[in-house]
Amino acid sequence: MTWPAEITLSSGPVTPVQLALFAAASGDHNPLHLDPEAARRAGFDTPLVHGMLSMALAARLFSQHLGVGCVRSLHTRFTGVARVGESIHFTATLEREADGLAHYALRSVTAGGGDVLAGTAVVGPPPP
Amino acid sequence: MTIDRSRIGFATAPTRVPIDARRVKLFCQAIGETDAVHWDAEAARAAGHAACPVPPTFLKAIEGEHCSSATLLQLLQVPLTGVLHAEQRFDHLAPVHVGDVVSVSRRIDRIDDKKNGALSFVVVDTDYRVGDRTAARSTQTIVVRNAVTA
Repeated sequence: MTWPAEITLSSGPVTPVQLALFAAASGDHNPLHLDPEAARRAGFDTPLVHGMLSMALAARLFSQHLGVGCVRSLHTRFTGVARVGESIHFTATLEREADGLAHYALRSVTAGGGDVLAGTAVVGPPPP
Repeated sequence: MTIDRSRIGFATAPTRVPIDARRVKLFCQAIGETDAVHWDAEAARAAGHAACPVPPTFLKAIEGEHCSSATLLQLLQVPLTGVLHAEQRFDHLAPVHVGDVVSVSRRIDRIDDKKNGALSFVVVDTDYRVGDRTAARSTQTIVVRNAVTA
Protein backbone atom coordinates (compact mmCIF):
# COMPACT_ATOMS: atom_id res chain seq x y z
CA MET A 1 0.00 0.00 0.00
CA THR A 2 1.26 3.47 -0.88
CA TRP A 3 0.62 5.93 1.92
CA PRO A 4 -0.19 9.55 1.02
CA ALA A 5 2.30 12.16 2.30
CA GLU A 6 -0.46 14.39 3.65
CA ILE A 7 -4.20 14.11 4.21
CA THR A 8 -6.60 16.77 5.49
CA LEU A 9 -10.17 17.20 6.70
CA SER A 10 -12.19 20.30 7.60
CA SER A 11 -15.12 19.99 9.98
CA GLY A 12 -17.16 23.03 8.94
CA PRO A 13 -18.55 25.16 11.79
CA VAL A 14 -19.38 22.92 14.78
CA THR A 15 -22.98 23.75 15.71
CA PRO A 16 -24.72 23.61 19.13
CA VAL A 17 -26.94 20.85 17.69
CA GLN A 18 -23.87 18.80 16.83
CA LEU A 19 -22.55 19.23 20.39
CA ALA A 20 -25.94 18.14 21.78
CA LEU A 21 -25.95 15.10 19.48
CA PHE A 22 -22.42 14.25 20.55
CA ALA A 23 -23.34 14.61 24.24
CA ALA A 24 -26.17 12.11 23.70
CA ALA A 25 -24.09 9.72 21.58
CA SER A 26 -21.02 9.84 23.83
CA GLY A 27 -22.68 10.04 27.24
CA ASP A 28 -20.53 13.11 28.05
CA HIS A 29 -23.12 15.50 29.44
CA ASN A 30 -20.66 17.97 30.95
CA PRO A 31 -22.56 21.30 30.68
CA LEU A 32 -19.28 22.99 29.64
CA HIS A 33 -20.18 21.82 26.10
CA LEU A 34 -23.86 22.75 26.15
CA ASP A 35 -24.59 25.62 28.50
CA PRO A 36 -23.07 29.11 27.99
CA GLU A 37 -23.44 29.87 31.72
CA ALA A 38 -21.57 26.70 32.74
CA ALA A 39 -18.87 27.56 30.20
CA ARG A 40 -18.49 31.03 31.78
CA ARG A 41 -18.17 29.52 35.25
CA ALA A 42 -15.33 27.37 33.90
CA GLY A 43 -13.63 30.49 32.50
CA PHE A 44 -14.65 30.31 28.82
CA ASP A 45 -16.75 32.79 26.85
CA THR A 46 -18.72 30.12 24.97
CA PRO A 47 -19.35 26.36 25.20
CA LEU A 48 -16.42 24.26 24.04
CA VAL A 49 -16.31 21.44 21.51
CA HIS A 50 -15.83 18.06 23.26
CA GLY A 51 -12.21 16.93 22.97
CA MET A 52 -13.54 13.51 22.05
CA LEU A 53 -15.55 15.04 19.18
CA SER A 54 -12.35 16.58 17.81
CA MET A 55 -10.62 13.22 18.26
CA ALA A 56 -13.47 11.40 16.48
CA LEU A 57 -13.05 13.81 13.56
CA ALA A 58 -9.31 13.09 13.57
CA ALA A 59 -10.09 9.36 13.37
CA ARG A 60 -12.52 10.04 10.51
CA LEU A 61 -9.72 11.81 8.63
CA PHE A 62 -7.87 8.48 8.50
CA SER A 63 -10.89 6.21 7.83
CA GLN A 64 -12.08 8.45 5.03
CA HIS A 65 -8.75 8.57 3.20
CA LEU A 66 -7.22 5.20 4.09
CA GLY A 67 -10.20 2.91 4.69
CA VAL A 68 -12.53 1.85 7.50
CA GLY A 69 -10.58 -0.14 10.09
CA CYS A 70 -7.18 1.30 9.19
CA VAL A 71 -6.52 2.94 12.60
CA ARG A 72 -4.31 0.75 14.82
CA SER A 73 -3.37 3.44 17.31
CA LEU A 74 -4.38 7.05 17.87
CA HIS A 75 -2.88 9.37 20.46
CA THR A 76 -3.91 12.99 20.89
CA ARG A 77 -3.03 15.75 23.30
CA PHE A 78 -5.70 18.43 23.57
CA THR A 79 -3.43 21.44 23.16
CA GLY A 80 -6.17 24.07 23.04
CA VAL A 81 -9.92 24.42 22.82
CA ALA A 82 -12.35 24.84 19.93
CA ARG A 83 -15.42 26.95 20.64
CA VAL A 84 -18.90 26.23 19.37
CA GLY A 85 -19.30 27.74 15.87
CA GLU A 86 -15.65 27.34 14.95
CA SER A 87 -14.41 25.15 12.08
CA ILE A 88 -11.61 22.73 12.83
CA HIS A 89 -8.99 21.79 10.26
CA PHE A 90 -7.08 18.49 10.58
CA THR A 91 -3.78 17.66 8.88
CA ALA A 92 -1.90 14.35 9.05
CA THR A 93 1.65 14.16 7.72
CA LEU A 94 3.39 10.88 6.94
CA GLU A 95 6.47 10.49 9.15
CA ARG A 96 7.65 6.96 8.43
CA GLU A 97 6.64 3.49 7.33
CA ALA A 98 7.64 0.29 9.12
CA ASP A 99 6.40 -3.31 8.91
CA GLY A 100 3.51 -2.40 6.61
CA LEU A 101 2.27 0.29 8.99
CA ALA A 102 2.38 4.05 8.44
CA HIS A 103 3.10 6.55 11.22
CA TYR A 104 1.46 9.96 10.86
CA ALA A 105 1.88 13.16 12.83
CA LEU A 106 -1.46 14.81 13.46
CA ARG A 107 -2.35 18.42 14.12
CA SER A 108 -5.58 20.31 14.19
CA VAL A 109 -6.28 24.02 14.42
CA THR A 110 -9.37 26.21 14.34
CA ALA A 111 -10.09 28.39 11.32
CA GLY A 112 -8.70 31.25 13.44
CA GLY A 113 -5.40 29.39 13.87
CA GLY A 114 -5.79 28.28 17.50
CA ASP A 115 -4.34 24.90 18.43
CA VAL A 116 -6.90 22.17 19.15
CA LEU A 117 -4.97 18.93 19.26
CA ALA A 118 -1.69 17.35 18.30
CA GLY A 119 -0.71 13.74 18.21
CA THR A 120 0.24 10.65 16.29
CA ALA A 121 -1.53 7.83 14.49
CA VAL A 122 -0.42 4.40 13.35
CA VAL A 123 -2.44 3.04 10.43
CA GLY A 124 -2.35 -0.18 8.48
CA PRO A 125 -4.23 -1.79 5.61
CA PRO A 126 -7.96 -2.19 6.43
CA PRO A 127 -8.65 -5.70 7.80
CA PRO A 128 -9.87 -8.26 5.20
CA MET B 1 -7.55 20.86 46.82
CA THR B 2 -5.51 17.69 47.05
CA ILE B 3 -6.88 14.55 45.47
CA ASP B 4 -6.93 11.46 47.68
CA ARG B 5 -4.01 9.33 46.50
CA SER B 6 -5.41 6.18 48.12
CA ARG B 7 -7.56 5.73 45.01
CA ILE B 8 -4.52 5.13 42.79
CA GLY B 9 -4.87 1.57 41.56
CA PHE B 10 -8.64 1.54 42.05
CA ALA B 11 -10.09 -0.73 39.35
CA THR B 12 -13.69 -1.35 38.34
CA ALA B 13 -15.04 -4.88 38.02
CA PRO B 14 -15.67 -5.59 34.31
CA THR B 15 -19.23 -5.22 33.05
CA ARG B 16 -20.63 -6.22 29.67
CA VAL B 17 -21.88 -3.56 27.25
CA PRO B 18 -23.70 -4.65 24.08
CA ILE B 19 -22.98 -2.59 20.95
CA ASP B 20 -26.20 -1.62 19.17
CA ALA B 21 -26.56 -0.11 15.71
CA ARG B 22 -28.74 2.83 16.82
CA ARG B 23 -26.10 4.10 19.20
CA VAL B 24 -23.37 3.76 16.56
CA LYS B 25 -25.55 5.58 14.02
CA LEU B 26 -26.18 8.45 16.46
CA PHE B 27 -22.44 8.71 17.12
CA CYS B 28 -21.76 8.79 13.36
CA GLN B 29 -24.36 11.56 12.89
CA ALA B 30 -22.67 13.63 15.58
CA ILE B 31 -19.23 13.30 14.01
CA GLY B 32 -20.35 13.73 10.38
CA GLU B 33 -19.53 10.13 9.45
CA THR B 34 -21.74 9.23 6.46
CA ASP B 35 -20.41 5.74 5.60
CA ALA B 36 -23.35 3.39 6.28
CA VAL B 37 -21.05 0.38 6.82
CA HIS B 38 -20.96 1.49 10.49
CA TRP B 39 -24.69 0.88 11.11
CA ASP B 40 -26.23 -0.88 8.08
CA ALA B 41 -25.50 -4.62 8.10
CA GLU B 42 -26.09 -5.00 4.35
CA ALA B 43 -23.78 -2.12 3.50
CA ALA B 44 -21.15 -3.64 5.79
CA ARG B 45 -21.38 -7.08 4.16
CA ALA B 46 -21.28 -5.53 0.67
CA ALA B 47 -18.05 -3.77 1.66
CA GLY B 48 -16.55 -7.06 2.88
CA HIS B 49 -16.97 -6.59 6.66
CA ALA B 50 -18.14 -9.46 8.87
CA ALA B 51 -20.57 -7.02 10.54
CA CYS B 52 -20.76 -3.22 11.07
CA PRO B 53 -17.40 -2.00 12.41
CA VAL B 54 -17.56 0.79 15.03
CA PRO B 55 -15.56 4.01 14.44
CA PRO B 56 -12.15 4.07 16.21
CA THR B 57 -13.07 6.34 19.12
CA PHE B 58 -16.63 4.99 19.61
CA LEU B 59 -15.47 2.78 22.48
CA LYS B 60 -15.03 5.88 24.66
CA ALA B 61 -18.76 6.48 24.25
CA ILE B 62 -19.79 3.19 25.90
CA GLU B 63 -17.71 3.83 29.03
CA GLY B 64 -20.70 5.62 30.55
CA GLU B 65 -22.64 2.33 30.50
CA HIS B 66 -19.81 0.89 32.58
CA CYS B 67 -18.36 3.66 34.76
CA SER B 68 -18.00 7.13 33.25
CA SER B 69 -15.04 9.42 33.88
CA ALA B 70 -17.52 11.76 35.62
CA THR B 71 -18.33 8.93 38.03
CA LEU B 72 -14.63 8.24 38.64
CA LEU B 73 -14.09 11.95 39.37
CA GLN B 74 -17.00 11.84 41.81
CA LEU B 75 -15.26 8.95 43.56
CA LEU B 76 -12.16 11.17 43.79
CA GLN B 77 -14.40 14.01 45.06
CA VAL B 78 -13.33 16.26 42.18
CA PRO B 79 -16.13 18.58 40.95
CA LEU B 80 -16.55 18.67 37.14
CA THR B 81 -16.06 22.45 36.99
CA GLY B 82 -12.42 23.06 36.22
CA VAL B 83 -11.89 19.63 34.70
CA LEU B 84 -10.63 19.25 31.11
CA HIS B 85 -9.65 16.32 28.95
CA ALA B 86 -5.88 16.65 28.44
CA GLU B 87 -4.90 13.58 26.49
CA GLN B 88 -6.36 10.39 25.04
CA ARG B 89 -4.85 7.29 23.48
CA PHE B 90 -6.42 4.26 21.79
CA ASP B 91 -4.74 1.03 20.73
CA HIS B 92 -6.88 -1.20 18.52
CA LEU B 93 -5.93 -4.87 18.48
CA ALA B 94 -9.04 -6.23 16.74
CA PRO B 95 -12.12 -4.67 15.13
CA VAL B 96 -15.26 -4.27 17.29
CA HIS B 97 -18.62 -4.72 15.55
CA VAL B 98 -22.29 -3.97 16.14
CA GLY B 99 -23.68 -7.04 17.92
CA ASP B 100 -20.51 -7.60 19.95
CA VAL B 101 -20.72 -7.55 23.73
CA VAL B 102 -17.74 -5.62 25.06
CA SER B 103 -16.46 -6.28 28.55
CA VAL B 104 -15.19 -2.95 29.91
CA SER B 105 -12.99 -2.34 32.94
CA ARG B 106 -11.22 0.84 34.08
CA ARG B 107 -8.37 1.56 36.45
CA ILE B 108 -7.02 4.77 38.00
CA ASP B 109 -3.37 4.45 37.04
CA ARG B 110 -1.80 7.68 38.30
CA ILE B 111 -2.56 10.97 40.01
CA ASP B 112 0.18 13.61 39.63
CA ASP B 113 0.39 17.29 40.64
CA LYS B 114 2.12 19.85 38.42
CA LYS B 115 2.85 23.57 38.60
CA ASN B 116 3.06 23.54 42.44
CA GLY B 117 -0.32 21.89 42.74
CA ALA B 118 -2.15 24.31 40.43
CA LEU B 119 -2.90 21.36 38.17
CA SER B 120 -3.57 17.70 38.96
CA PHE B 121 -3.47 15.00 36.31
CA VAL B 122 -5.58 11.86 36.67
CA VAL B 123 -4.68 9.00 34.32
CA VAL B 124 -7.28 6.27 33.69
CA ASP B 125 -6.63 3.07 31.71
CA THR B 126 -9.53 1.24 30.09
CA ASP B 127 -9.59 -2.30 28.76
CA TYR B 128 -12.19 -3.45 26.20
CA ARG B 129 -12.51 -7.22 25.72
CA VAL B 130 -14.58 -9.13 23.20
CA GLY B 131 -14.86 -12.83 24.00
CA ASP B 132 -11.60 -13.93 25.54
CA ARG B 133 -9.33 -11.33 24.01
CA THR B 134 -8.58 -7.64 24.41
CA ALA B 135 -9.94 -5.78 21.36
CA ALA B 136 -8.70 -2.34 22.43
CA ARG B 137 -7.07 -0.40 25.23
CA SER B 138 -7.25 3.30 26.00
CA THR B 139 -5.58 5.79 28.29
CA GLN B 140 -7.29 9.02 29.31
CA THR B 141 -5.54 11.90 31.04
CA ILE B 142 -7.83 14.34 32.84
CA VAL B 143 -6.49 17.67 34.05
CA VAL B 144 -8.00 19.27 37.14
CA ARG B 145 -7.45 23.03 37.31
CA ASN B 146 -7.46 23.33 41.07
CA ALA B 147 -7.91 27.13 41.10
CA VAL B 148 -11.15 26.78 39.11
CA THR B 149 -12.35 23.82 41.13
CA ALA B 150 -11.69 25.40 44.55
